[in-house]
Amino acid sequence: MSFKIDNISYKYSADTPQILKNINMEIREAEVTAIVGPSGCGKSTLVSILSGVIPTLMNKGELSGSFQAGEEVIISVVSQTPENQLFGYGVEDALAFGVENMGLASGEIHERVESVLDLLHIQHLRKRAVSTLSGGQRQAVCIASVLAMRPDLVIMDEPVSSLDPQGKHLIQSVLNQLRSAGQTTVIIDNNLDWFSEIVDHVVGIDSGEVVFDGSRDEFFAEFDIQQRLGVIIPQEVEIYRELSRKVEELQPFSTLDEAYDALHGRLSGSETAVALNSSEEQAENVLEVTDLSKSFQDGFQALKHIDAGFSKGKIISILGQNGSGKTTLVKHLNGLYQPTEGAVTYQGAETKGKSVAEISRDVILVFQHPEHMLFEENVYRELTFCARAQGVSFSEEEALAVLEKYDLLKNKDELPVNLSMGKKHLLTILSVLFSSAEVIILDEPTLGMDLHLRNHLEGIIRHLKEKGKTVILISHEIPLVFKLSDELLVLDHAEKLKEGSVQQLADDEALFENIHIDLPPVVQLSKKLGIAPLACDVQSFTDAVAESLKIGGARNG
Amino acid sequence: MGDFLQYVELDSFLHRLDPRTKFVFFIIMSVLTSFVKSGVALLFLFLVFLAIWLIGRIGNYMLVLLNKVKVLLLFIFLLWLVLGAFTINEGPTIYRTAFSVIGNHYVFSLEWVDFYKGAVYALRIFLMISAFYTVILTTNFSQIILGLQSWRVPYAAAFGVGLVFQIIPMIVQEFATIMEAQKSRGLEVDKCSAFAKMKNYVIVSLPLLFRVLSKGHAISLAMHYYKLNFKVKRTSYKMIKATYSDALFASVTLVASVVTIILQINYYIQI
Repeated sequence: MSFKIDNISYKYSADTPQILKNINMEIREAEVTAIVGPSGCGKSTLVSILSGVIPTLMNKGELSGSFQAGEEVIISVVSQTPENQLFGYGVEDALAFGVENMGLASGEIHERVESVLDLLHIQHLRKRAVSTLSGGQRQAVCIASVLAMRPDLVIMDEPVSSLDPQGKHLIQSVLNQLRSAGQTTVIIDNNLDWFSEIVDHVVGIDSGEVVFDGSRDEFFAEFDIQQRLGVIIPQEVEIYRELSRKVEELQPFSTLDEAYDALHGRLSGSETAVALNSSEEQAENVLEVTDLSKSFQDGFQALKHIDAGFSKGKIISILGQNGSGKTTLVKHLNGLYQPTEGAVTYQGAETKGKSVAEISRDVILVFQHPEHMLFEENVYRELTFCARAQGVSFSEEEALAVLEKYDLLKNKDELPVNLSMGKKHLLTILSVLFSSAEVIILDEPTLGMDLHLRNHLEGIIRHLKEKGKTVILISHEIPLVFKLSDELLVLDHAEKLKEGSVQQLADDEALFENIHIDLPPVVQLSKKLGIAPLACDVQSFTDAVAESLKIGGARNG
Repeated sequence: MGDFLQYVELDSFLHRLDPRTKFVFFIIMSVLTSFVKSGVALLFLFLVFLAIWLIGRIGNYMLVLLNKVKVLLLFIFLLWLVLGAFTINEGPTIYRTAFSVIGNHYVFSLEWVDFYKGAVYALRIFLMISAFYTVILTTNFSQIILGLQSWRVPYAAAFGVGLVFQIIPMIVQEFATIMEAQKSRGLEVDKCSAFAKMKNYVIVSLPLLFRVLSKGHAISLAMHYYKLNFKVKRTSYKMIKATYSDALFASVTLVASVVTIILQINYYIQI
């Protein structure tokens, strides 16, 4: 069935601003609808209204307009944190929970549990404990538990935001199954990159209003809207967007094959003569690990004989699937973990014997979830926490200037936990600007960030590099990793597979196949088109192509 | 630490038991340890527990428990030892002296029975805690809910109990992560005075509070998404059924209880 949303407006109380303003849209039957928009645009409020949380659980706001969903209509939500949503110790318990609540007969419950296990191809997980599943498997079980209730509409709220590439692939295949089965689905996510092949219909919301309602292809053609909404689009579309500004009569494309078809004919015969910035010069290692091994009390070996160096003034990304040892490695760098064997040295001196707080003056780690870090009473104090904890001097003007630069000045007296997820994360990262640390480790820094905040993040990372600081990045956002990093360190099953410059490693396709990580489209396209040195970000790629076309054009005439 | 206070996934005799059998074991042992004060009887009970833990392959986890509660047990032992030393008991005396403080006269009389008393009280507390812990280690929260439901405990209460056991490990994990995150950004909790350490632990409780509230909110939303309504009759995917093993375990519990009571009657020393 289709769902029609007519003129919905909402505010949380009489004296707060309007969150949603006359929302009109249709969720079409058997289609995948994407609702996109910047942080704080009202997406989550809309989910609460569609799922009935407003007004059933939250009834103090002012809601007007209509959303036709009768008592018998089942609308279910899959949240971004399945561990908060799965009730039951085992997978079967969790799958049956919703159906048991519906009071169905035992036979019917068994039939539904079997059918979702089959539909999502997760029979092999049925006897597992939920706590032992990977992030992707947990999210797949969460989707299955919701589907067992046979919902008329499934809403997924950023379902892959904390998953590694393998987890994302699993959820992509699950969504494909749902689409084939004709399930009406809404996905709330400002990152269209991972589900662009599945989505049929895109609705864009900004400041509580619908500013775009159309097909996926129409959305991909609207560059201004994409930018305004801060939507992360597939890199192929981004390449087209940037290239079309430089190259005339370019045939539109949104996939790798289409991009190749549109470009290879025009590039053939010409050479890519652009010398891309490849920062190959050797810099001294500020931080080193030597023969580092870690075994936990239960016997699990998390790291095996790792040797690695982190150069001064470089951005180094650690790549690998969940469980490869990335987080364990960085927790050794800042002293949270002590190695079973081997050593960590900062500027030639072993860090052993120092407290984590002492090491933080040199090596600081920003955690993945900002809520683990925020505890000050206002944004200003949170920003300056590291400086105060480490005894680093700073001026109020300096701090206020940073808040202003990153659009946080208006929030300076607010409780940090009340900020949007993306802004909370930005704030925890900004606080390291006031730290004395020379090495900054960022663990999944893009969590909850839309494109605008991500641009800020890129700016901060580059600013740190310009100041000569070393940035170590752990991120599952592979295009971002290739765009920002100078060097990569690849881990797999607790072992170091390789380290080297991005250019060097990008050439090694077998390495990325081995760790089940796809190279970014821009790198793949560069390879297919024979661009050398390989372009690792869209800007370098479009520069190389435009230059190549110019040279080719000059030769031809 | 990771496994403390939570179910441990193993395929053992204890794990396969009907949760109700384990509830009965817990209730009987709690009652027994509340009134048994004979050292011999408690020692016998401890040996029974030991056999159960070894057969259930949870011996190592009980050592972890012992390690966690050792300070508490030592405190209980010393408390009863000191209290006993200010009471004159029968039996061999180790040291006895009289003294006065601000005109009040006291007799300090340390006897062997004071040590016995301290050991008995510490052992009783340990057995009480470990009876509960034996059930927690071997019964997951879904089984706890099923067991309580089969005893006609209202689903809201059974679900609440199950939820507590689901959430405790999450909170323990959250606390550990918050501690790590705060240390990483410069909060000193390792090399500082006890007062500063305590103050910094209080600081850490704030993000923990926010995380717990946020989890609570997420869980209440999930209950809504899954249409959980305590007024509507639920059905069940799994059934629990007592087996021969349950009868055997119940018999062992019963026989052990009878023997403990007999030992209590015959070997009770007034303390």
